[in-house]
Amino acid sequence: MKKRQGWLFFIIFLLTLSIYLLINYPLKFGLDFEGGSSLTLQLVKENGNVTNEELEAVQFVLDKRVNNLGVSESNLQTLGRDQLILELPGVNVQKTKEAERILGKTALLEFRIQKVGTNAELKKLQLQRSSINNLIDQFNKNRGEKSEFIALNNYLINIQNELEFSPESEVLYQKLIETKKFINNQIAKLFMKTDLTGKDLIDAGRRQEQTNNNWEVTLNFNDDGAKKFALITKSIAGTDQFLSIILDGESISEASVGSQFSVNGITGGLATISGSFNAQEARDLEVQLKGGSLPLPIKIIERNNISPLLGQKNIIKSLYAALGGLIFVGIFMIFNYRILGLVSVLSLILYGFFNLAFYSLIPVTLTLPGISGLILSIGMAVDANILIFERIREELRNGNTLIRSIDSGFQRANSSIIDGHITTFISCFVLFLLGTNFVKGFAVTLGLGVGISLFTSLNCSKTILRFLTTYQSLRQKNLYLSGRNFSN
Amino acid sequence: MKLFNYDLVKNKKKTFVFSSFFIILSLIGIIFSTFFTSYKTPINLGIDFKGGYELRIERTCEGKCADFSPDKILEELRRNSSQQNLVNNVQLKFLDKNDLLIRSKSFLNPQESEKLIVDIEEIIGRLDYDNLVTREIGPKLGPKLLKDCAISLFVSLLAISLYINFRFDRKYAFFALLALFHDLFIVFGIFSWLGIILSLEVNSLFAVSLLTIAGYSVNDTVVIFDRIRENLRTTKDDFNETIQLSVNESLRRTAFTSITTLIPLLTLLLFGSYSLFWFSVSLSLGIIIGSYSSILLAPTFLLKK
Repeated sequence: MKKRQGWLFFIIFLLTLSIYLLINYPLKFGLDFEGGSSLTLQLVKENGNVTNEELEAVQFVLDKRVNNLGVSESNLQTLGRDQLILELPGVNVQKTKEAERILGKTALLEFRIQKVGTNAELKKLQLQRSSINNLIDQFNKNRGEKSEFIALNNYLINIQNELEFSPESEVLYQKLIETKKFINNQIAKLFMKTDLTGKDLIDAGRRQEQTNNNWEVTLNFNDDGAKKFALITKSIAGTDQFLSIILDGESISEASVGSQFSVNGITGGLATISGSFNAQEARDLEVQLKGGSLPLPIKIIERNNISPLLGQKNIIKSLYAALGGLIFVGIFMIFNYRILGLVSVLSLILYGFFNLAFYSLIPVTLTLPGISGLILSIGMAVDANILIFERIREELRNGNTLIRSIDSGFQRANSSIIDGHITTFISCFVLFLLGTNFVKGFAVTLGLGVGISLFTSLNCSKTILRFLTTYQSLRQKNLYLSGRNFSN
Repeated sequence: MKLFNYDLVKNKKKTFVFSSFFIILSLIGIIFSTFFTSYKTPINLGIDFKGGYELRIERTCEGKCADFSPDKILEELRRNSSQQNLVNNVQLKFLDKNDLLIRSKSFLNPQESEKLIVDIEEIIGRLDYDNLVTREIGPKLGPKLLKDCAISLFVSLLAISLYINFRFDRKYAFFALLALFHDLFIVFGIFSWLGIILSLEVNSLFAVSLLTIAGYSVNDTVVIFDRIRENLRTTKDDFNETIQLSVNESLRRTAFTSITTLIPLLTLLLFGSYSLFWFSVSLSLGIIIGSYSSILLAPTFLLKK
């Protein structure tokens, strides 16, 4: 008697604990329900495998950049040996695009000095760059006039012929961008590397130019960098050699240094890049420089985006489905098994709470596949009960007493239940090990459900049933068998 | 409820013919799918496995929404769009009257996808940017996922085989596995046909459902074999009669278990979100076929001539 009561209290304790957990550690919802984006980033290394240090270094830089995005609860994690997953909950498509822009670039900043005797080429390339910029402006102003496209295309072809360059893309806008990039690359080649790079920066900022609407990016060097910058600017002060700021192999700004700096160079460790940036470009560059440059380039290999509205719809629909499932299963069980059915419904309710409690404890992030795993496991949890109840019925029909039948039923169904649960468990285990993140959610909820159902259907059902049978009025046999079935 | 008395011995031939019919049907579907369709794979693979771009978005028309056929829209796109190459790879489908599914075989970058959506918007009217789902898989990632799924399935089946071999002796284990392959093959075949007839593409959830069905079907079969083994130990009756008896005794339990598992799946199908619809269908089919193979097929295998 004492032992039985002990289990009952233990179960009630667990239930209270579960509710406590659910209130204080609310469930975490995945992108399926919150909406938002997830990006999978692949590190690109030409020779050899990505090392752990490289992966961590990339994560470090991206982490800083992501933090500057201003998305609350963004989540950047490594995946495997050479991938990262970034989750941005609750954002719309615009923010995702911004994230991609900021994350994708290596942002390797270099300062180079112009090679002597390249003035003519530089001027020519700068002119061509202006032309391209004009074309891009025109493109952005006109939207869809086919005649405009043809005109722009022709201008572009002229420039391309001068450069002896043909872009890969077929889309006009992409062609313009590619050509501009080519020009910037060519300009960069006219300059020699120095020892001053983005690593020498402490900070970067941005501000609007006073004279026009453009933005500029401000640079703040560390002590070492400041010295180097002074030396470099001193060496070309007053000459016709330009200083170029190179970002990822493209020259984004070229400037000359006035002769007033020929004694000491530009000291103070501050510099400004005015490359006629618009607000967005300036911000992007600022964030990238602040984070530091990526040790390895990355590529986006997977994108997912769900609008928050749709996410909410998913929550509601899943809720309906889960509740509907529980209710109909409950009705079915009570109809067929009467009191035993009631016992299974009660243990199902416990089952539900225990599952959710584990979700908030571990924690398990809920996704759509995860929820379907839970809903599926309801069927499995009930299955164990059915096995037991059928055995109990058999024992009753063979003429045994109620208590004996109950004990016997639980005992003999044991091995079948455990067998069945193990095979499902094997599937879950394999899914968890080998599946994608997406699939892991399903494996976790199903596997967890299978485990918990062992406890609720074996232990909890027994306890509840024992408890109920202490009431004399509930001991009549016909409450356990459905009236019609007495045939063999 | 009257105990359903299906004479296994008498109907042995019927059972085999019935199963063989569906196996052959599935085989035809798979062969047709592999050789006579445009995609040339045993089943129609979705972007999860081939890479590409998929977007689901809703229309918000003021008043009544004009009807457009996907072909017409594509035609106009080809005429007006500046992204010609891209448009040739685009597929359109209306899931609902206002629910549009846009698919592209190539991996689009954000500018390209935005331009595509804007172009389509100009043709069919305003789209609701607050109500969209996009998914893109890079060209290398897709095939990798396919490989991973296939490996998972294989390893899982291997593990299950080992486990069954451990729990039952050779003959039982063999027939249990045979029943399992029968179930998986038919479900695969059904979705092959759906791929041919409805152009239904399968994604990673389908692989998940196959794995789950494997666990379930074996579970079912194991319960019945358990009963058979137990009865054979305790009774001195004829072998075939004992099998018949075991099946009759387990019938209720197997049927009820299937029903209680199907009920939540059906509610998921009816009320749940679209992305889980075919997943629920696959699991439901698997459970029904699994029950059939556990109750009728596997015991029939065991019958002594």
